[in-house]
Amino acid sequence: MIQNYLKIAFRNLLRNKVYTFIHVLGLGLGISAFVFILEYVSLEKSVNQFHTNVDRMYRLVNVATDGASWGEVEPGWAALAKERFPEIEDYCRFADGIASGVMQKAEGGESFKEESIGYVEGNFFEFFTFPLLKGSAEALKQPNVIFLSESTAAKYFGKTEAPGKTLLLHNQFGKTTFTVGGIYKDMTDLSDIRYDMVLSLETLKSPANTNGNDWVRLDNLDNQYINAFFLVREQANYQELEAKFNTLRNELSQENDGIVFRLQAATNIHLAPSLNDPLLTTGNVKYVYMLAGIALLILLIAWFNYINLSTANALKRANEVGVRKVIGATQAHLIGQFLGESLLTNGLGFCFALMLVGTLQPLFAELIGKQVSLQILGNTPFWMYGLGLLLAGSVLSGLYSAWILSRFKVIETLKGKRTSNSRGIWLRKGLVVGQFVISTSLILATIVIYSQLRHLQTGELGINTEQLLVVSGPQIGKDSTFATRSNAFVQTLAEQSFVQEYATSNVVPSRYYNFRTSGFTQPGSKPKDELKSYAFAVIGDRYLKTYGISIKAGRNFTPQETDVEWNNNSKVMLNERAVAELGFSSPEEAIQTKIKWDERYLEVIGVVADYHHTSLKNSIDPIIFYPQKSAVYYSIRLTPEGMGDKVAKLEKLYKTSFPGNPFDFFFMDENYQKAYYEEQQYGKLFTTASLLAVFIACLGLFGLATYTVESRTKEIGVRKVLGASVSSVVMLLSKDFLALVGVAILIASPVAAYFLNQWLQDFPYRIAMEWWIFVAAAGLALLIAFVTVGFQSVKAGLMNPVDSLRSE
Amino acid sequence: MIKLNQIAKHYPAGFGKVYVLRQIDLTIQEGEFVSIMGPSGSGKSTLLHILGLLEEPSEGEYRFLDEPVQKLSEKKRTELHRHHIGFVFQAYHLIDELTVYENIETPLLYKGVSGSERKSRVAELLDRFNMVAKKDLFPSQLSGGQQQLVGVARALVHQPKVIFADEPTGNLHSEQADEIMELFQKLNKEDKVTIVQVTHSEKNATYGTRTIRLKDGWMA
Ligand SMILES: Nc1ncnc2c1ncn2[C@@H]1O[C@H](COP(=O)(O)OP(=O)(O)OP(=O)(O)O)[C@@H](O)[C@H]1O
Ligand SMILES: [Mg+2]
Repeated sequence: MIQNYLKIAFRNLLRNKVYTFIHVLGLGLGISAFVFILEYVSLEKSVNQFHTNVDRMYRLVNVATDGASWGEVEPGWAALAKERFPEIEDYCRFADGIASGVMQKAEGGESFKEESIGYVEGNFFEFFTFPLLKGSAEALKQPNVIFLSESTAAKYFGKTEAPGKTLLLHNQFGKTTFTVGGIYKDMTDLSDIRYDMVLSLETLKSPANTNGNDWVRLDNLDNQYINAFFLVREQANYQELEAKFNTLRNELSQENDGIVFRLQAATNIHLAPSLNDPLLTTGNVKYVYMLAGIALLILLIAWFNYINLSTANALKRANEVGVRKVIGATQAHLIGQFLGESLLTNGLGFCFALMLVGTLQPLFAELIGKQVSLQILGNTPFWMYGLGLLLAGSVLSGLYSAWILSRFKVIETLKGKRTSNSRGIWLRKGLVVGQFVISTSLILATIVIYSQLRHLQTGELGINTEQLLVVSGPQIGKDSTFATRSNAFVQTLAEQSFVQEYATSNVVPSRYYNFRTSGFTQPGSKPKDELKSYAFAVIGDRYLKTYGISIKAGRNFTPQETDVEWNNNSKVMLNERAVAELGFSSPEEAIQTKIKWDERYLEVIGVVADYHHTSLKNSIDPIIFYPQKSAVYYSIRLTPEGMGDKVAKLEKLYKTSFPGNPFDFFFMDENYQKAYYEEQQYGKLFTTASLLAVFIACLGLFGLATYTVESRTKEIGVRKVLGASVSSVVMLLSKDFLALVGVAILIASPVAAYFLNQWLQDFPYRIAMEWWIFVAAAGLALLIAFVTVGFQSVKAGLMNPVDSLRSE
Repeated sequence: MIKLNQIAKHYPAGFGKVYVLRQIDLTIQEGEFVSIMGPSGSGKSTLLHILGLLEEPSEGEYRFLDEPVQKLSEKKRTELHRHHIGFVFQAYHLIDELTVYENIETPLLYKGVSGSERKSRVAELLDRFNMVAKKDLFPSQLSGGQQQLVGVARALVHQPKVIFADEPTGNLHSEQADEIMELFQKLNKEDKVTIVQVTHSEKNATYGTRTIRLKDGWMA
């Protein structure tokens, strides 16, 4: 019996090549999109889960009154907590941002700028599960020890044995010597902690190694710069522990900033456990859900195709159903047979999908910018759900068609009646509408995302980024002679004919601020105003001019003012936003007032025009500008022509002035674009998704059109004999389909508009959902549908009527 | 074997109903070869469908093999089809995707007959109808007469008690028609299969043992 079913199924698939092709292609594309997205979801879900004790690990998180949360806390809490709270078995701290600098092989040797580097607790390799290849984990408990990843060790030492060798790190703590204590396996994409090299935190305990940076003291309770993880005992209640942490904070903290502690489970650090979990995560659970949703929608379109085409085709097979019933088939037999056919089709689709997945894997990895493969599916149980879903979908879509087919009444089929049940037709129409609702929504999303991206990329920043190049200041050789050498370098810059403008500063636009802090008041401030937070930007006297930022009131810093020591300085500038935030009614009013910062008084000497310091994704922050000569960055505007040449010349000048330092530079406009990486990813994703959805939906539409033309051949023949023109035949056959697409557009537009508007709300600078967007999406959907249907219609319109009539 | 008592069939039409068959009393014994004749639209096919349990009568009582069958579940009806009834159609109604062999074999599959028995039954019929050479061809590769031979073989393969045939030769030319009629006669005489056929041809009717005439739904 099964054999008989399979035989028929195969012969039917072969006989109806067009339909088979449509099904297998559509299902194949749908399933491969689904598999890829399953891979991605598995990847995201398995990040950080590989640590042996992950279930008992918690990260201490700060939550501000406005709901913002961050993982950098004061380093002193960890030891205090372990001492006082019996629930805590162990802790591990690490700090990344503060370590970066230039690493040198030996005095005067080759050097590299290293960003992926951190100071970590001595028990780092015991606390977390990062396999060591060489050396003992214990070694990290000593000061001045460095562990390297396998590939970093190769970068510095090639094939020679790394452990025991020394490296020189030049960073904000000056020059420090480290001995290589061990080598660990490269940290993978599956970890949020990813360091090329780790330094023993113990190093920072010695004042000799901190260069007067007192804020870094490991027992301090006022500087938030370190990540603190806790290993909690088996039966501990983490919520009680959280409460204890807050009691401790209230007892000991000097700050009155309204911040509370939360303990975030390590399993939830990458992806939040739910959409409305407020704590900061490294991944984006919204994005993961959205991707999964899109995958399902695309798959749905493919299954709709199956239901549509197989039930439309049912009329052709009605006779077979009737005959089989007469010779003894029950409805169950027939359902079995048709279900078998659908499973076979789905199976072929699945095989095709596996082929596609195999071939397109690298393209997908590139699209999402992560390393993924089929193996990743094994990391989580999602592949089982996925497979279950695929099976369920295949069975349901098959079952539905089978049920429709097997219900035909013998007598009607034998009498040759075309009693297509009207419910079937409505269902078919409904499914087509559903497919185009999905497709049109995705088209709309693509248009909106790209418009918004363009809006961000081309929006007015308030600064001039043209030909502007930023060179990182040197780290090697920052001794007593550095200030003089830096001045000399700036002097040489000024002399170059291809340098239009130049400035030194501690921050540059498109990178973050020096820090954010609160505690500012002015004589007219209201209570609680001191809780407002301000961004701090430390700049030299040429910064504003170089970036083309205008001064609204007052004056710029003088070179002398930038020479004053940090603690002795009494002058600041504000941006307009900060002026408003402090409660001044105009820039002029702010000038010459003294604002209070904790215990210090700072005179406002000037107000600068607002500009987008980070990117157009964020609204403009209130900024306080603080004068210093420090040269963390050199910003240089070049003359327009012959860029490459000038960069080479610059490099030469830099290397002469600062021997041994890597020449690390970027272009300002390019760096701004990096801020929109996420939106670019969304754009690519939605383009791909809508292309797929539209294509699969059109495959189905093409099938239906083919079927319609087939079943109306005779009618068309008669109409042509009666004098119908080609265009009237095309219209006759297309108008019903276009009406369905029209209905879909009417449904999709408000729904998609709602969700896209939600998305746009995240952007302070956003496009309006203008009418043309809807017209464009609608036009596109209609055009594509018309071309798809039109192909078959035109063929029918051009056919010689005699052929169609003779064939009866 | 077949006993109709005051059978009528009507369809709704407008506000009333239109009768297709009226007050039919009919008894057919096992082993008979009955021909139903009458003008087009007189209700021949409808009567045959009722006899073959494809349609339900609107009024009256129908006993098939001494059982009342006018209101039977689909399952029971399928059981009767599997075991006792064979059909031959004017348009052959073979399954296009199956070969000659497979078409004949299918009723046995539904009946649940074992593989070896299926083989021998089908082989026997192919041999009897001289179709062995054609067993792997598809219906579209056969002439009309050959297709109808396959149709008859398929109606016979599960050894039914009765064969209902609606204008089995309607699409054939006379030579082929005679061949089918002779086959029916032989089946009736030698294998004792009861046959009920609808036909427009007086000549075909002569192959039978009895002729029933219908006119406007009445039995004459
Ligand atoms: N479903 C139905 N609804 C209404 N009327 C019907 C239906 N089925 C059949 N009829 C009518 O019943 C009458 C008898 O039809 P039937 O097919 O039995 O005639 P017939 O004697 O076999 O004719 P022919 O020789 O042309 O095959 C016809 O007038 C037909 O229009
Ligand atoms: Mg008839």
